[in-house]
Amino acid sequence: MENKISFTIDGTPVEATHGESILQVARKNGIYIPTMCYISKTTPCASCRMCVVEAEGVEGFVLSCNTPPTPGIEIRTNSQELELERTNIMKLYDVNHPLECGVCDKSGECDLQNKTLEFNIATQNFSAREQARKIEDWGLINYDPSLCIMCEKCVHVCNEVIGDDAIEVKFGGYKSTIIPKDADTLDCTFCGECIAVCPVGALVSSDFKYSANAWELSRVPATCAHCSAGCPLEYETRHTGINGEESIYRVKNDFEYTSLCGAGRFGFDFDVQAEKNEMTLQKAVNAIKHAEAIRFSSLITNEEAHILSLIKEKYGVKLFNEDARKYQAFMKAYSSVSGKLHHSATLDAVKQSDALIVVGSRVSTDNPGLRYALTSAAKHNGAKIVYAHPMEDALMQNTITQFMKYEVGTEEGVIALLAATLLKDADLSDAEKAFFDDLDFGYLDAETNIGEEELSQMMRAFKRTQKHTFVVGADILSHPKAENIAKLAAMIEKYSDFALLVVPSEVNTLGVSLLCELDEDKSDAKCVGYNADGDFIISSYIKGADLIVPALNQQEGTFVSIDNRVLPTNVALGFNGYTLNDIASSLGITKENTIEYTKELSPQAGFRAIAFDDLENFVSPMGEDVRGYLLDEVLCEADGNLDTISELPEYNGVVIYHSNPVLQFNSYTNKAKQLEKDRSLRGSAQFAAAARITDGDLIEISFGERKIQRVFSLDNALKGTVALNPTFDDTFDASRYRYEKSKIMRVVHE
Amino acid sequence: MSKVYFSTWNGELINNMGKSADEWEESAYNLPAQYDEHRESKAFIGWDGVALFSEDVDVIRLAMEYAAQYQEYSEACGRCAPGRWGGRILYDQLDKIARGAGSVSDLDHLKEIGKSMQMTSKCEIGKTVPNPILDLMTHFEDEFMTCIKEQKPSKHYHESVGYIAKITAPCTDACPAQVDIPGYIEGVRDLRFDDSLMATRQTMPLAHVCGRVCPHPCEDACRRTNLDEPIAIMALKRLGADWETDHEYDFFHPMEKKPSLGKKVAVVGAGPAGLTTAYYLAAEGVDVDVYEELPVLGGEVTVGVPEYRMPFGKYQKDIECVKDMGVNFITNHKVNADDMRRFDAEYDATMVASGTRLSKKVYCENERPEITGYWGAIDFLDRVNLYEKFGYTLTDEQKKEYAIDADYVDLTGKTVACVGGGFTSMDVVRCSIRAGAKRVIMLYRRDEKTIIRNTTYEEYHEAVEEGVEFIFHSAVAEMRDENNVLKSLLVDRFELVPDPDGGRPQLVKIEGESFELEVDYLIPAVSQSADLSHIPEEWEIEMTSWKTIKTNGKDFMTSRKGIFASGDCEYGPMTIVNAVGQAKRAASVMARYIQTGEVGLTDDEIMEDHLRKLRVYDKKEKVTGWLPGLARQQSAVLDVDIRKTNNEEVVFGFTQEQALAEADRCMRCYYIAMVQA
Repeated sequence: MENKISFTIDGTPVEATHGESILQVARKNGIYIPTMCYISKTTPCASCRMCVVEAEGVEGFVLSCNTPPTPGIEIRTNSQELELERTNIMKLYDVNHPLECGVCDKSGECDLQNKTLEFNIATQNFSAREQARKIEDWGLINYDPSLCIMCEKCVHVCNEVIGDDAIEVKFGGYKSTIIPKDADTLDCTFCGECIAVCPVGALVSSDFKYSANAWELSRVPATCAHCSAGCPLEYETRHTGINGEESIYRVKNDFEYTSLCGAGRFGFDFDVQAEKNEMTLQKAVNAIKHAEAIRFSSLITNEEAHILSLIKEKYGVKLFNEDARKYQAFMKAYSSVSGKLHHSATLDAVKQSDALIVVGSRVSTDNPGLRYALTSAAKHNGAKIVYAHPMEDALMQNTITQFMKYEVGTEEGVIALLAATLLKDADLSDAEKAFFDDLDFGYLDAETNIGEEELSQMMRAFKRTQKHTFVVGADILSHPKAENIAKLAAMIEKYSDFALLVVPSEVNTLGVSLLCELDEDKSDAKCVGYNADGDFIISSYIKGADLIVPALNQQEGTFVSIDNRVLPTNVALGFNGYTLNDIASSLGITKENTIEYTKELSPQAGFRAIAFDDLENFVSPMGEDVRGYLLDEVLCEADGNLDTISELPEYNGVVIYHSNPVLQFNSYTNKAKQLEKDRSLRGSAQFAAAARITDGDLIEISFGERKIQRVFSLDNALKGTVALNPTFDDTFDASRYRYEKSKIMRVVHE
Repeated sequence: MSKVYFSTWNGELINNMGKSADEWEESAYNLPAQYDEHRESKAFIGWDGVALFSEDVDVIRLAMEYAAQYQEYSEACGRCAPGRWGGRILYDQLDKIARGAGSVSDLDHLKEIGKSMQMTSKCEIGKTVPNPILDLMTHFEDEFMTCIKEQKPSKHYHESVGYIAKITAPCTDACPAQVDIPGYIEGVRDLRFDDSLMATRQTMPLAHVCGRVCPHPCEDACRRTNLDEPIAIMALKRLGADWETDHEYDFFHPMEKKPSLGKKVAVVGAGPAGLTTAYYLAAEGVDVDVYEELPVLGGEVTVGVPEYRMPFGKYQKDIECVKDMGVNFITNHKVNADDMRRFDAEYDATMVASGTRLSKKVYCENERPEITGYWGAIDFLDRVNLYEKFGYTLTDEQKKEYAIDADYVDLTGKTVACVGGGFTSMDVVRCSIRAGAKRVIMLYRRDEKTIIRNTTYEEYHEAVEEGVEFIFHSAVAEMRDENNVLKSLLVDRFELVPDPDGGRPQLVKIEGESFELEVDYLIPAVSQSADLSHIPEEWEIEMTSWKTIKTNGKDFMTSRKGIFASGDCEYGPMTIVNAVGQAKRAASVMARYIQTGEVGLTDDEIMEDHLRKLRVYDKKEKVTGWLPGLARQQSAVLDVDIRKTNNEEVVFGFTQEQALAEADRCMRCYYIAMVQA
């Protein structure tokens, strides 16, 4: 529906596309209309009334934020009358606003301060009786109702963008306030987005509170290091005292268009420090020279991955990274059907979709960025979202419209059923047709536990939808049949109008998988660990590492996000020790700076020869993400064939699902002092009964030969016989399927 | 017309100051001069002005209390900067003057802040609250000045005076169920669908139903009409209900169920009125038993309204919501007089909500029910819906009676004529099309415009599209049969002849234009009447002249204490929303009655009736502050060739984008009215 509406603003001819408001068109054309409550990523709050404008032939003022233009209408954004009323609104905003700017966290970047100055409010001819109000302590977040101007931005983002829907307006005229929804205290995932959008100092970080003034902080634009969503953020740093070290005080984000989860916002203090010591460097160099392999994690930059590849090339060491290797194998199989390297969808595509299928990801904790995109699709597009997973997730209830519960281990069958349903009328090759014709639907229905009625319910719900996305989660990547699943997913992408998104497990799983030739991890090989276990350990986070290297907030370099976007990150805090580049130099692989490798990243994988310093790192004022660049699509041969589905595995008894609690991802988040660290195994009452354990028991969990101890905690939001085992505090073996049959014993102290 | 001392209502200026009471000029409006049986009103103040019924009103305090009500009524305010602070300042400044501490500059501030509120507030409540206050300041300036100059309290400042206020809106006022329409639309606009649904359910438990098949009298009272087109109020109601259903939430009840009162109520009939009574009584902690004659719940909405208009799966959610409040249902139980006597003895109160399920005759020659092919609309729709929705097949006896071979209503090859013009007749003809009839004819005495007014434009238009033939200005004169099998109808034609005296035009038969119409079925859907054979005769319950149960239309108690009636059996065949509205009010009265033995209304209910009499919507009002010309959204409908042959829902409902755009058109016309009594 391409119907442009032409009209004028202040005499300038402008055009609106369908669905745009007068305010949006004005902003797009650089015409200023003041607002206090408007935030681009949500529906208009419409509470401040500052954005009123005049329309020719219309008596009274028209609110520009939620009114679309009519053809030919002449809008005026400025007149004496408008100025007067806007000034009066500002006067009202200032009524009884506490004069504590001297200590307020927001001072210096406060919308109320700015607008008060803009409208030159020096005196005030109205007053109202003061009211006594208590500051609320909601854990990581503090709320001061006296400072609150009731713009409702926080409530809108919490509900429409994040999906927690944890706060609401308590109506009551002058006494109106923000309260936790249906709860005594704030019970949410603590993304802190409410703090970010608060235009005044009403909602603040309890950790940051009163610790620094906005103008004292330096801002370092970077990419979040906790999951693959690649969220932009700014580390704000300052020296801690006259002779103090630089330190990160807080993290902020461009909240107008992007969002951050709590790990990104509050989990920033994972930096390390070391001094240069030639001896240690030499030890590391020797270790690498004599190692059979380097084992490394995906918590590294593309440039580091590239250096590791160069070391492999020069010294013939193997490279172990099971997480990236699994992803690589999956994508290779995908490419063999799709004929291209990269999946087609992005988080933005998810946001725009009105029909989605998500298979094999506990989205809310695996990738909050994906969760927020789904929330936005659900709320703004009324998207029909099918969430196929063995476990319910209470956090997703207001997002998903159909929960398809399948049996653990049957993912191959699930995707085959979905593919058969979605591709029923597709123009398939004979071989492909034969694959679907040969499927034993009765068997698949019975084993996966997904019935025909569920699939037709899905198709009914999708009937009138337009934009479709299929999301494959991390559960699938290490599934024994991952490659066949990848081919099926590629079929869906190829023959239906579903775009495909494959969720990488770690921050740079995708980059590593594109840059390194990886070998299968032989655990008995003599290994140097780079941010991973080994005989000689080089790491920014492993305790007792032989050589300490900078953490990801102390490095320049790039990641590849879930969107196939190459994103730059910067040094928030300096590091005095050695980097991988220094080690490489000692190995004869010489560049002065790590980032000199940025332009050398493999064009065969879609990277471009752009120097690091030429990469942009911001979101434009109109919300366009111009950070880094999108990988070029690379075509390849499509010669893959589907394997017949023989038998689906069965998982009976006590099953553990490796899955983190909210705010936790990895060793970095594990170090962050503000983040809650729930290390317990969380299970339902049914699980507790099956495993014969009760809440608070200390238990020993055995996965094959490995044994770990955890406290069991009963979680009433969970159902079924699968329990959640955190991995942020433990090395998770990414080569294994995320669900494991295990033995659980109660630890009895003598 | 009301007797007033002073009034500025709706722009009138009546000032009887200095005149003796018998010389007072009357107001042109139905202002609530008499608050209730016991109390006279002293003043009425609202969005459109102020009226004083007595000389002895403390106008400064009246203005102040009105501003205070604006602060009190949280549901409508606190949502915008001018309203939130402005309202408070209005109150504080007025209170300052009223208590004797004001200054002249306070008056200027009041005017300035009042104007800002009028110009920039989010909703009409903020825009209109200053209106009567500024009126009082203008016309009673002396009183204000005296208080300020002498620094003394206003005349009744320290006395206890009763003020009763109510929030309303033109749409809410026009809704028989008083649904908080701006509230649920705001929920859609803010994407808070749970809030939206709870706003609806405060007074209307059937959100799925009334989001689909309500004739929406509210839309005729939508102020947006004064600007461009009315808001699609009805269609926006679906969003909250669909949200709850789609996301498989537990039911969002707007209230918490109160602990058991140890009282019980019997409800006769599980249609909209019965369900509504049960829901709100159960919420009050009353044990409710609902007796239903049919094997299925839901009354006419289940067995009358066809699947393609109201999918039962959705209605079932509304019914389950009522069940979830803790209501006991007894199906397949046709209540008789003995039951009623038992209820009277065993229950604390009884609600009769048995509807109108007898099809009225068309009054033509040879109209004999025993003729095969003569089929009452209610029975016809029962048979269609019980099969389509629940799979109940026809018995051998029924097949013989209706001359149908199949197990269900199969009209293949048959010609059906329906006499009607209301919703029921539309359901009959459109179901007949879906049952495969060769030809379907609607005979209607009046014209196209009237049938649209009696139903909806969409309903009529969709029926025409599906192939129903409408013959306007026509009536059946005679049924012609062979051996008691209907063969044809003699149909008279009429024309509208204007009354030379300027009265209503008369329908006059056109001689010589009558024609014979070959049909297999004549389905009378003229109207329905109530089967009240279960009311014990010795109770001598008062009836209306239309043979429905009589109540005063306010508390819905019948002439027998403890026996209440609501819905069609009280009002006559009317709308779902009317039944809901009556039953909601009745449930409120019953809840108090069973605890106190008193039958009476709350202040809120009294105000509701006053405002309805006064009429909140003013179609002549000029709307300012909104950009006109934003078109009402239209929902897509199922293609006619597909829908003719099946029962799939015809109206798809809005896409999210359409719904949000439509919700943004709502002007939030909340108003506060207040009486001093």
